[in-house]
Amino acid sequence: MANEPTDLPEAAERRMTSGAFTSGLSVADFAACLEMGLEPVGFAQGFCAMQWSPLGSSMSNAMSPYRSTTGGGYSEMFNCPHGFVSNDHRQWGQNYEQTWYEAAWRTGFDTALQRMVEEATEAGAHGVVGVVDSQQVMGDGYLLEFHLSGTAVKVPGAPALTQAPFTTYLAGQRLAKVVEAGYAPVGVIATLSSVRMWPYCITEYQLHGTGLSMFGSGVSASEVDQVVRAQSYSRQIARDAAKRALHGDSLHGARVTTSERELGQGEIDYHTVIRGNRIRRFQDFKALPVPQPTVRLS
Amino acid sequence: MAKEQGDLPEATGHRLEELEKGLFTSDLSVNEFLLVKEAGFHPVGFVMGSSIYHIGIQTRKWGQSQELTKLTEAMYNARELAMTRMEEEAAQLGADGVVGVRLDVNYYEWGSDAAEFIAVGTAVKAEDGVSRLNTLGKPFTSDLSGQDFWTLSQTGYAPQGLVMGTCVYHIAHRGLAATLGSAGQNVELPNFTQALYEARELAMTRMQDEANRLGATGIVGVRLEEKSHQWGSHTIEFLALGTAVDKTGAPVSLARPTTIISLDN
Amino acid sequence: MSGLTPPNAEVDLAAAMRAALAAYSQGPGSGQGTTSDLSMDEELNLHAIGWEPVEFVTGLSVYSTPPMTWTWGQGEIAAASYAHEQAFQIAMARLHRQAASVGAHGVVGVEVERSIHASHTEISLMGTAVRPVGAAAVDADNVFTSDLSARDFTLLMVAGWEPLGLAAGASFVFAPRRSMGAVMSQQTQNVELTNYTEAMYSARETAMERMQSAALAMKGTGVVEVKVFEGPMYFASHAVGFTAWGTVVRLREDEHRHVSPTMVVSLDDVDIAFDADTLG
Repeated sequence: MANEPTDLPEAAERRMTSGAFTSGLSVADFAACLEMGLEPVGFAQGFCAMQWSPLGSSMSNAMSPYRSTTGGGYSEMFNCPHGFVSNDHRQWGQNYEQTWYEAAWRTGFDTALQRMVEEATEAGAHGVVGVVDSQQVMGDGYLLEFHLSGTAVKVPGAPALTQAPFTTYLAGQRLAKVVEAGYAPVGVIATLSSVRMWPYCITEYQLHGTGLSMFGSGVSASEVDQVVRAQSYSRQIARDAAKRALHGDSLHGARVTTSERELGQGEIDYHTVIRGNRIRRFQDFKALPVPQPTVRLS
Repeated sequence: MAKEQGDLPEATGHRLEELEKGLFTSDLSVNEFLLVKEAGFHPVGFVMGSSIYHIGIQTRKWGQSQELTKLTEAMYNARELAMTRMEEEAAQLGADGVVGVRLDVNYYEWGSDAAEFIAVGTAVKAEDGVSRLNTLGKPFTSDLSGQDFWTLSQTGYAPQGLVMGTCVYHIAHRGLAATLGSAGQNVELPNFTQALYEARELAMTRMQDEANRLGATGIVGVRLEEKSHQWGSHTIEFLALGTAVDKTGAPVSLARPTTIISLDN
Repeated sequence: MSGLTPPNAEVDLAAAMRAALAAYSQGPGSGQGTTSDLSMDEELNLHAIGWEPVEFVTGLSVYSTPPMTWTWGQGEIAAASYAHEQAFQIAMARLHRQAASVGAHGVVGVEVERSIHASHTEISLMGTAVRPVGAAAVDADNVFTSDLSARDFTLLMVAGWEPLGLAAGASFVFAPRRSMGAVMSQQTQNVELTNYTEAMYSARETAMERMQSAALAMKGTGVVEVKVFEGPMYFASHAVGFTAWGTVVRLREDEHRHVSPTMVVSLDDVDIAFDADTLG
């Protein structure tokens, strides 16, 4: 694999094939690696900067943010039940999945991951452990930077791989426990879902108390339906994407992060990111006996 | 210090009735719950006492370090009110004692000089039916955690009551000339030292007096807290808290602890 | 956690790692995997009592409160208490439905995120759905929830108890107003403010009672790990909210099974901070 052209900077290629290794492991994690028979061979990293642009008409068109094409993702209209009220009255609203943003994020992450894996492959590694990933949003939100890094490791005595090295967020004792329990690390999984909510009159009234004027008193307390659906779909889309990426393997140690960003005209973007370790069962473990409780005297 | 009247507000009635019918509530963690059971007790209910107290202004001489007795009285009375109400709830539930007691002070923006003093804990009852009330005939209180409560039960000692001593002390402002004179030098500030010493001693002594009134042998888990509350940095409340204990005559069952080396962080 | 899962000296980790690598090379099997946010320790604890994680599940609700809700008035702020109750119940129901749909019997380690704003109350629940290994699915009504960790769930079950659900109670009130005359005369006195005390007491008790009622409705015997939150709203300091929630439990065996813990002394406590507030 070292003979194939890569898009890594030349400096990276030199570093990965030289003798001594650098590693991002702590002392405890390093010791655990050795205990597992893993030999660190170097520090691997990958980087990718993605620019993305919104699909279709201009984002700042306040009067008509309507998306007729949303790239095939979740899209739902909310129609005002009132007749004509005024020119300011929002007669419709929409929740839609921003598939173009999700695609840009996915490409950015995957590219950075691929580059990290390439560095590890250059060094003849079987896997990359202790992966750390970070994303930065820059340039008014139109530039996404992805950075992944980890410690490339070799399993001495094992045959060379015919595929890319495995990757995992786990390292040290945590990885040892997973392997001891009969699970093989396969890959890191990270997926983002993005749903934009453009509020209609009812939602606007429920969230801000404005926009309904003479109809205000007719709206009783109830769920803010549009927001609930936008957030719920955001989570579901992320969960489904993560499950698809597993191809039948399991996701271990999942971390779910939800965030919302309010934009100019009351629109809110709901993002859900799911990260975790794709693992595969390779042997049944002996069921452990019921654990013995202890009380620690400090 | 005279205890003020501690009638529970009417609203408490319903909630305690439900607990008396057998539902228990507790803010114990699962670990603590299991250990309290190990010690031979069953949780009965989450109990609370609170009082919103107005703390009067006390004039003080800037140049003199002294106890602000009115403020001391206020802080003590307010906490006593809260504790007494909590004990009453426990008594109403037929409990033997309250564990995990926490004393908190809340300040709300709309009540300047007014603070809410809260005492909360989990009331427990001995499963063998033998009364564990203290020498004053009241449920014992203790700020010991579930773990410490169990460990104590292994030693043949039992908690009698949460004891506290408080002292609000004003530290004199040094004269400006004196301050300028010692700037930049390593020098002890006798004013401060003396004041802090005296204040702490007062708080500790008062706490011990309470323990003596309970007929206790000793106090464990002593904590000394220092807070300025809302008074500025020259006025500090010194609060000494601990759990008074007494020998129960029960056999000691302390096994030698096993030593382990924890391999993961 | 090392006291709960002692390292297994018989396992040859290096051999296991080589076998893992071989499995990695072979590609995925035909099975259906699980998703979970539990640590391996927690998964092993679950397996020790014959349970397994199934999938990571969520439930959420956003409930509105009418615009004049927080304007200073008297007594309980009914609309706010109602919105909180509804948001909690609806979020739980959705969590249960999701758990039932993946064939789970309960959800553990539920993270409760609750935010109260002037116009709405939002409750979000996230946790890992679990079931006894190989068990058939149950109705959404029979799914249990708990904010106890998988480890605490294991301990409870071993002791003969089972979780039933999360019970919550909330009450929002306006702080009583003090008249100017009263303010002046109280300046120098140390005195309890009885009307304030009564109002706050009553609100706190109402919240706790609602939690208890919810627990009784689930046919529980007790509530553990009750968390109480109280304080003014960030957007309206004259309004104070009291909430309490905890996990409802029931004895499932005939009697409580004692756990008999061993006392241990750890020899490597590196973190020794000198705390000036403690003596001795």
